[in-house]
Amino acid sequence: MRTKRLPLRKRTKKRRKSNMFPIYKKELQSFFYTPFAYAIAALFMLLFSLSFSTGIARLEGSNTWNFSFAEIFYSVILYFIFLLPILTMRTFADERKNGTEVLLMTSPISVAKIVLAKFLANITVYIFMLLGTSIFPIITAVKGQVVVSQLICAYIGIFFWGAMYIALGMLISSFTESSIIAAIIGEVVMFVLLFVDDFSNTAFISQYPKVQSVLYSFAAQPRFAYFSEGFIRLSDLVFFASAIIVLLIWTYISIEKRRWNRG
Amino acid sequence: MITIENLTKYYGSNRAVNSISFTINDNEILGFLGPNGAGKSTTMNMIAGYLPMTDGTVNIYGADITKEPLKAKKNIGYLPEIPPVYPDMKVKEYLSFCAGLKKVPVGERAKEIARVSELLKIKDVEGKLIRNLSKGYKQRVGFAQALLGNPKFLILDEPTVGLDPNQVAEVRAIIKDLKKDHSVIFSSHILSEVSAVCDRVIIINKGDIRAIDTIENLEKSFTASQVLHLKVKGVRDKASSVIQLVRGVKSISSAEDEGNDITAFTVQLEGDADSIRDAIMAECVGNGLSILEIYTDKPNLENVFIELINRPAKSGMEQLLEEMEENTSGGENEDEEAPSEEENEEKEEE
Repeated sequence: MRTKRLPLRKRTKKRRKSNMFPIYKKELQSFFYTPFAYAIAALFMLLFSLSFSTGIARLEGSNTWNFSFAEIFYSVILYFIFLLPILTMRTFADERKNGTEVLLMTSPISVAKIVLAKFLANITVYIFMLLGTSIFPIITAVKGQVVVSQLICAYIGIFFWGAMYIALGMLISSFTESSIIAAIIGEVVMFVLLFVDDFSNTAFISQYPKVQSVLYSFAAQPRFAYFSEGFIRLSDLVFFASAIIVLLIWTYISIEKRRWNRG
Repeated sequence: MITIENLTKYYGSNRAVNSISFTINDNEILGFLGPNGAGKSTTMNMIAGYLPMTDGTVNIYGADITKEPLKAKKNIGYLPEIPPVYPDMKVKEYLSFCAGLKKVPVGERAKEIARVSELLKIKDVEGKLIRNLSKGYKQRVGFAQALLGNPKFLILDEPTVGLDPNQVAEVRAIIKDLKKDHSVIFSSHILSEVSAVCDRVIIINKGDIRAIDTIENLEKSFTASQVLHLKVKGVRDKASSVIQLVRGVKSISSAEDEGNDITAFTVQLEGDADSIRDAIMAECVGNGLSILEIYTDKPNLENVFIELINRPAKSGMEQLLEEMEENTSGGENEDEEAPSEEENEEKEEE
């Protein structure tokens, strides 16, 4: 059974690579051959360093403040709200604007693979951004001490959290022809999602516990908080993974639907 | 062979393409002719598998485009109306991306890219950003993309738009050359282009096929009257009476004296122009008149086109029956017009 399975898996893997790789490569080129990815990564690092230095500054004269990367990550996700839509805004909007959507659709590659290839490319840029931030823990480790396990947890958390928002940004990009509109709508939606847990805790919503629990289940932030505190909970992983899958499938449907409704 | 059956497209309640059927044979160039908004691009998008059809089937070398899209698309090279190029890529990068997308094996990519850039003469711009290219070059880069991987079936949507006359001639020559091992469907609203390049033409208007035939047949069947011009040396009255008596000559519409006993006649004919012309020549020579010049007006596609496009839209049962009768009694033209009640509702996105 096992020996039979192996070659089959190998074969499908190989086929997929030859199919999706050109799109993945092209997407990465569009980020890295232009100042685009570097500008976003630089901006992100700048914002991160601000949180970092204010975090250190607060250590002086305060006994209650506890410097930790988890805290910094937690405050940094707000900046992501502004940067991730800029990363994802062009994903499908530009294809449609340039008329290159036709090229992709009439090539022997399925829409699902196009979506997946583009998602992976965005994730790659995102990882590149996250790697840039690793300089801060490294500096801290040289001069002080870093709790590595907690740091890794926080990185896993922020990775999943960002991956989910990238899938969301791609979905929004598939709705429109203008990348600017995709970015603006993306920011609004992500902002609303970020504060959905605060909203669900308001006195008004608390009157309706059922509404509250439904709203709260959409909140990603509390789940991220667990990661940043050093917990890896299966339920959180499942939440992020299923949110990513749902959003990607939705993107696929949105693209197919637009083909049917064109005109 | 590519078979298209009952292809129909509605945009909402607007019908853009109305149940059209045709086949494209191997090694054939099929011209797709129609005014703007006739449904050309919609049809081509459906054949290429970009737009889903409302009804009908497209079969490309045995693979149905909706049931086995990947298999069918392997055989298609498509140049849409707007060349699908990425402005931020260099020409070579773009072509190598497309080669990958079309599953050209890695080892053959460089050769394949060199082949198409050679063919379309874009070698000298391969290092440039597509954004900075002129429209003609963009068009050619898009064309090159369609040829990558040597697909058997090429769909070219107005491939010569935006090119200068020199390039137009080049591209036409390329298309003609492609016939050797490709089937081509090629849309245009330029008549001379279609008649220069295509084996058969489909004339389409408002989503209906108005005619499918070879250019010669179309021209023959649609030119109502034929005109013969000849210059004769000899006595004018004698010449005109001789010509008048030839069978098939309807009338002499003009006779101009050109001096030196030379008269230029314009003669209206009825029936087969070739045999009438021969008869006139024989009669003139037999009567001692010498012919200095003789030619018939070549019937042209433009008239055919205008006639077909402007033909009143048929509606109602009566006309349908009339049409059916005409078809069964063996009408000269293969006009496959279907009746339609809302002829004017068509709308095409452009």
